Parts: sequence; C-alpha cells; structure tokens
Amino acid sequence: MSRLLADRVTLAYGRGPAVVESLSVSVPDGVVTSIIGPNGCGKSTLLRALARLIAPASGTVILDGEAIHRLPTKEVARRLGLLPQHPSAPDVIAVEDLVRRGRYPHRSLLQPMSAQDHAAVERALELAGVAHLRERAVDELSGGQRQRVWIAMALAQETPILLLDEPTTYLDLAHQQEILRLIRRLARQEGRTVVAVLHDVNAAAWVSDHVIAMRDGTIVAQGPPGEVLQPRTLQQVYGVECDVVECASSGIPWCVARGRSLWRMLELAAETGENGGERGDGSLPEDGPAGRRSRPGAPRDALQARGLSAGYDGRTVLRDVSAAFPAGKVSAIVGPNACGKSTLLRALAGLLPAEGEVWLNGRPLHAFRPRALARELGILAQEAPVPPGMLVEDLVACGRYPHQRWYRQWTPEDQRAVERALEVTGTAELRWRPVEALSGGQRQRVRLAMALAQSTPVLLLDEPTTFLDLAHQIEVLELVRELNETEGKTVVMVLHDLCQASFYADHLVVMKEGRVVAEGPPGSVMTEEMVREVFGMRCSVFPDPLTGTPLVVPQGGDAASPAPAGAAPAAQAETIHGETARASRPPVLRG
Amino acid sequence: MSPKEQAAKQVTQATAGQPAAPGLRVVRAGPVSFRMRRRVTGLVLGALALALAMGAWSLTLGSYPLSLPEVYQVLTGAGSGAARFIILDLRLPRVLVALAVGAMLAMAGAIFQGIVRNPLVAPDIIGVNSGAAVAAVLWIVMKRPAGYVPAAAFAGALLAAAVIYALTWRGRISGSRLILVGIGVNAVLTAATTFLLTRAEIHDASRAMLWMTGSVYASDWSDVRVLAASLAVLAPVGAVLMWSLKVLQLGDVTAQSLGMRVERTRLALIVAGCALSGIAVSIAGPIGFVALMSPHFARMLAGPMSGGVFVLTGLVGGLLVLGSDLIGQHALGVSMPAGVITSALGAPYFLYLLYRTQVRV
Repeated sequence: MSRLLADRVTLAYGRGPAVVESLSVSVPDGVVTSIIGPNGCGKSTLLRALARLIAPASGTVILDGEAIHRLPTKEVARRLGLLPQHPSAPDVIAVEDLVRRGRYPHRSLLQPMSAQDHAAVERALELAGVAHLRERAVDELSGGQRQRVWIAMALAQETPILLLDEPTTYLDLAHQQEILRLIRRLARQEGRTVVAVLHDVNAAAWVSDHVIAMRDGTIVAQGPPGEVLQPRTLQQVYGVECDVVECASSGIPWCVARGRSLWRMLELAAETGENGGERGDGSLPEDGPAGRRSRPGAPRDALQARGLSAGYDGRTVLRDVSAAFPAGKVSAIVGPNACGKSTLLRALAGLLPAEGEVWLNGRPLHAFRPRALARELGILAQEAPVPPGMLVEDLVACGRYPHQRWYRQWTPEDQRAVERALEVTGTAELRWRPVEALSGGQRQRVRLAMALAQSTPVLLLDEPTTFLDLAHQIEVLELVRELNETEGKTVVMVLHDLCQASFYADHLVVMKEGRVVAEGPPGSVMTEEMVREVFGMRCSVFPDPLTGTPLVVPQGGDAASPAPAGAAPAAQAETIHGETARASRPPVLRG
Repeated sequence: MSPKEQAAKQVTQATAGQPAAPGLRVVRAGPVSFRMRRRVTGLVLGALALALAMGAWSLTLGSYPLSLPEVYQVLTGAGSGAARFIILDLRLPRVLVALAVGAMLAMAGAIFQGIVRNPLVAPDIIGVNSGAAVAAVLWIVMKRPAGYVPAAAFAGALLAAAVIYALTWRGRISGSRLILVGIGVNAVLTAATTFLLTRAEIHDASRAMLWMTGSVYASDWSDVRVLAASLAVLAPVGAVLMWSLKVLQLGDVTAQSLGMRVERTRLALIVAGCALSGIAVSIAGPIGFVALMSPHFARMLAGPMSGGVFVLTGLVGGLLVLGSDLIGQHALGVSMPAGVITSALGAPYFLYLLYRTQVRV
C-alpha cells in the first residue's frame, strides 16, 4: 500500500466549478511519478491537494493511512516537501539561508540549529549541487541554479515524499536535464517518493517510473512510461497526433508530435519521387527534408545582422554577431538560457540600441522610419502588460497601429487584417472577452494574433510556445509554417525545443554566450557534438524515420554520478549509436 | 467632428457577413475613419444632457430664485435687468467654470493614469498641483496683485512638471519612477506651502487657504474664456492621444515595435496632462480627487479608455465639480467651496478603490 493517496477527491477553487471530480489515485512509493496533461487539466490542482494546500470539497487525501487534514501542519511538513510553481524569495537572501528555511518544520521557536539541522542543510546543498553557491544571493543566480536552490530547500526538509510542481519550466535543455537527473537520483539512490507535474511528455518519460496522464480532471491512463506513451493515449490526452520513437541507445520512448504540415511535406516529397525519410545509409539529408526543398534558386536574405553587439545596462549580451536569415523561410534561433537569443531578436527588430548594423531587405534598419519599419517587420516579444479590462479584439486591433493615422483609425483593411488574425489563431471566439480572463495559452495565441494583424512580411517570434501545452505548441508552429508556405512570410523565432526547431525551421542559428556558433539547415547543424558543446548535454541525434529531420534525445546516463540501473553508461551509448549500431537496431516506429 | 463631416458620415456595420461586433460602429467620412462603441456614444450624449439639465437647474437656484422660463428668456436675450445681471454675470460663469475645470482635471487624470499604468495616480498626487499651490500661496503671501494668482499658479504647475520630468528621465521615462519622483516632489512642495502659510499674516493665510481648497466662487467671463480656449485645444488633442496611449499601455517594447516614437508620444501626453491640470488649477485652485475619481467612474460605465471614454471622463468630471458646487452652495446650511465636497466624497472613494485593488491582487 502506498503512503500517499487520494480517495475520491473533488477539487475546486472557491465556489468555481470542480476542476477534479471524484478522483482516486495512489502514488507508488520510492519511485518517480509524473503527472502530465494539457493546460487546465487539473494536474497542478491535484498536486496541491496532495500537498494539503487546498482542501478537497469531498473525498480525502491520505498520508500514511491517516487523513492528511487531521495531521498537524508541521507533521505533514516533516513527511512531505513541496516545490511550488513560482516560488519567490525575499530580496538578496543568500542560498544557504534560503536552504536553511527548509528546516523550519523540524525546529521549534528560539532553538538554535542543531547538528542534525546543519547536516541536513549540507546534504541538501550537496545533493542539489549548489554547495559552491552557498554564499551567493539567490536573485543573481541563473534560472537553472535558482531552481536547484529551491529544490535544495525542499530537500533540507528531509521528507520521504517530495512534490514538485513543474520543476523544469523556464529552464533550458541542459538545466532541465540537470533537474531531471537530480529527481531521478532522489528516487533511485535515496529511495524517496517523488511526484512531479511536468509539462513536457518526453521529460516525463525520461525521468519517471510511473506516469499519470490527465485530461479534464480525470485520469486517462497511468502506468510505466512505455505503456502510457502510446500514440493512442497521447491523442486522448492532448488531442495531438503523435508517433512514439524509441531511442536506439537508451530505449527511452520519445514522443514526436505530428502536425498537418508533415502530411503536406510528405505529399510534396512523393511528387518529387523521393522518400521523405532517411536515406538508405541512415545519414541525415543535409539540405533538409525533401518536401521542403522544392523552392528553386538561392534564397535572398531578408534580415542580416552585421557585427552586432548589444546589451542591457552596460552588460554586453551580444558579442559581434553576424547572421543571415533567408527570405521566405522559417529560421529558428536556439541556444541555452541567457545566450542572447532574445536579445538578438530584439536587436534585429531595432528595439535595442546596438553597435553594428541590421539590414532588412537590403536596407539598413536605421534608414526606415519607425512606422514604415513596423509595416515591414513585426515582433512578438516576451511578456507584455495588458491594461485591465482590455478586450481581445482591442488588443489584436493594436497590431494595426502602424497602418493607421490619428484621423484614420479604422479602414476596411484594418477590419480584414484583424478578422484574419483572429481566425487563423483560433481566437475568434475569444474576441469579446477581457484579455486578463484568458489562460496563459489563450493569451499567447491572442498576442500572436496581434503580431499577425500587423501584416508584416517579416515576423519575429520570441519563444512563441512558452506557456503552451503540447497541442497548442503544435498549433502555433503549424500556423507559422502555414503562414510561411501560403503567404511567403519570413519567420525568425526563438525556440526551446530542439526537435521542434529541427522540424519546423528551414534554417537554424545556434547561439552560445552571445555569439553565433553554427548556422545552416537543421540536418547539418544539429549534431551530437554541437548539442554537447553548446548545451553541455549528452544526447543522441538521429533522423526521424518519417521526416528525416533530426531528433534530439537526451541520453539516459548520469554524468555526475554512477549510472543508475537500466540506463546505458554515456560513453557506451555513444558507440552504440554509431552507424553500424543503427543498422542493427534502428529506431522503432510505432503509430 | 465638424457638422459638414457629420452630414457626410456614413455609419456602416462592422463587416458584411461577419457577425457584427456588439455595439461597435465604424464611422467613415473620406479619409477620416474611426470606431466607436454605441454604449460610449450613448453615455456621452446622456452625460451631455445631464450637464445641460444640471447647469440649467443650478441657474435657477440662489438667494434670488428664478424659474426655468426666466432663465430661458435671459439666455435667449430677453428678461429683466436684474435677472440678466444675476444669470449672465454671476451664475452662468460659475456654472461654466465648474464644468470646464472639472472636465480638464478629469482628463488630466485619465492621461496620467494611462501613462503610468496605475489607477491610483492623478496630478494632485504626483505634485503638479502642489507646484501650482506653492506658487499661488507665495504670490498671495507676497501681496502681489490678486488678478495674477492664476498666472502664478500655472507657472508653478509647469515648473513642478518640468522638475518631475527631469528627475524621472533616465534615457526614458518609467511609469513607476514617475510616481515615486512625483510623490517626493509633492511632499517637498506641500511642506513649502505649509511653511509659507505659517509665516503669513492671518488675512493672507486665510485667502490662501480658500484658494487651496479649490472653489469656483466668484468666477467671471475672463476665466470662462481662458478655460474654453484651452479646452477647445486640449480636449481634442487628448482624445486623439488616447489612440496612441492604448498602444503605449502595452509596454514600451510593444509600442516601439508597432512603430511608435515612444518618448515623443509620452512627452506629448505629459505636456497635455500638465497643461489641462495646470490651467484648471490656476483658475479654480486644486479641487481634490476629481482627477482621480472621474476616469474610474467613466471606465466603470463605459469600459477601457479610448477617445470616446476620454470625452466621457471629461463630462463626468464636469458633472462632479458642478454637483459638488451645487451641494456646497445650497444643500448645506453654510456655503462650502466645491473642493471640500469633492474631497469629502473623494477620500472615501479612494479608500474603497485601494481596498478593492488589494482584494484583486
């Protein structure tokens, strides 16, 4: 019997409708359990109920055979630690001080730290790998480091059960991997029970022993990752068509979402008489998948950065960057956090004072008047405030600003552009709702609609898929492809996910520490060496059997500690994944 | 919009085929085109009618009561000599000044709240009005000619605005910095005013106090002319700037990416806001809380700020001051300046607003 379980719980916020209704689930002991599902499916709500943060309207959460609500708060905190979604630290608190706060449930008022407390803090710092940061202020750390410090605080609590709410959001690949590895270590080496709400299906499969897939407040499927990560189940959970590819070296199932553009691509490839997938020898087609190679002639560059340097408050972020973005193509900028991706995008849009030059369609950016520039180039920047009460349509209509004049505020052209933008982003039915009432995913689509209403031939998108669940990520990326294929829009976007970047972009720009380190078609840029060098992550790169675009799958090995049972050591995995090994054990395609 | 344009205007539905936007009308005439919500148009017309009615009613009130027909006769050029004197020289200027001052303060409030994206901001909180007060009190205490108090007050408001702007500027104007600098400047200026009042002769001090409460008492036609002229220029400018302000509220980065020259637009907004507030304060003194309250009332009635809601805000402000003046003059046993009434109503409202904001956050 498991220590933590929910017995027919119904969960709601205030008097709102029930998010979860009469749901029973038990958390297996001593392993990693992950909860996955689309935005708003109730996964975080369930986790918060398990952590006793919200009281069920009916039903009980049971911890060690007792109703959790009957237990004293401190007693619960000694058995169960929680990492909330967006923890916030008081200003300028040192790492060690923050981690010490995790000892709170074990201490009483005015009592000095005992030797046991000190030992627990030390262990937590060590385990989370932040011991060397102990003197530093939390707010000057990188996102990945900060997240590890928060985990360390939860670890210092020394609870046998740990609940983590989206521990990897906002982190780049290497940091995500680092956190996931830590989570796995906690279960495998320390025998702790870990429950993590995860956004990314593949991360869930990679890290967990037990996966719970939710949709609309109910559990659709649960079991080992290999059982849950089936195309049929994922279709049920996210409403997205998926293939599950098994990584040759680690045997970890890897979910690849298939959007509409794939079928268009395959059709095109069939017309040109080529197999869309990998070539006979198993190497990657260097110039991109067949279906996307149909446009003849060398592409002109829509945007060029020439010796661009820029930064904020005297801190240089971009160092002498030169890069070109072909016209009529989709380009993706990838790189670890804080490598200057977003800064490059802003500098390309002329939103930052920068040294060096940006050329748009053969003219330097500064030669454009601001309004004329805004009719040529639109940007979806990260996070923007929206005044309270503003309706979706109002916001989208703001995208028409560069086409308007103070006396000419609404032409039929404005109307058409707004209608179209609402329609293609699927936000037409949200049109008369206030923006503040929307979910994160809806808001992101509305902001994309605003950028589309601007009707510019060049569109820059800064992480258009953040805050979105798998279905909406695919929706947005498909939309980008469609805009590119039907209207010839040039798109430059910053993306987090390397597999998505490889599939949806024609051109990749890889950045590290403010410089461009590689540029070109995904097939030639995306290599294991590149990922290791730039992201500091060991991974396998192999062509998607269906499309030929590279798939990037992190290796199961744990570089920092002895490899856990079941995962091949890193070095061995690499040799297995050589060309010879591929022939004997090709990726298995199910679906 | 001129009558000619009004005649030429075509009112079209949002689009053919598409379900029409609820209450949105597109007005097009030649190169001019804009959208208006029917609700806003209706509210503006309603507020206008209410202002007319309240104005007419207040012309009948006083120690020498007149009937509405008598008022009508006087306004159309007839009527007895006494009635003409009472209405045209005493009551009408006062009504018009109350309406105009209220409108200008309210519009200034709408502009400042928009720039700093903070609903709790108004020119009386960030020090523009205190600048006017210091200058006016200094002028009175120094026994300069009373006729120039408005000019001194306006100069003070401009100077305070310039100082606030200069202290806020760090390559750009940040909204939260503007509030903090403004509150700091406000504190200094308020202290200076208090100092001047404690050092002044009792007669001057009481005159200064009366001015500082804000009152439309003893308004004359020269005041009306100044206010009418500024309102004729600044109200349309403000309404047009609201179109840019809507985009500016999405943040500097978004506004810039939409082709706006952000600092230039913001400067234009600040100048318009300071001018509206400064001129109103110079004539009627700092009537409290109108600038803070009116935009909220208008937004509650009509939705997010736009050119139309801006006009509505002005009408709400005018009605507030006119109503306060009516209450102050006639409803209480003793006669009270309008500023006392607006503050007495405004402070509780301000607290309510703070309470609500806290609940939501």
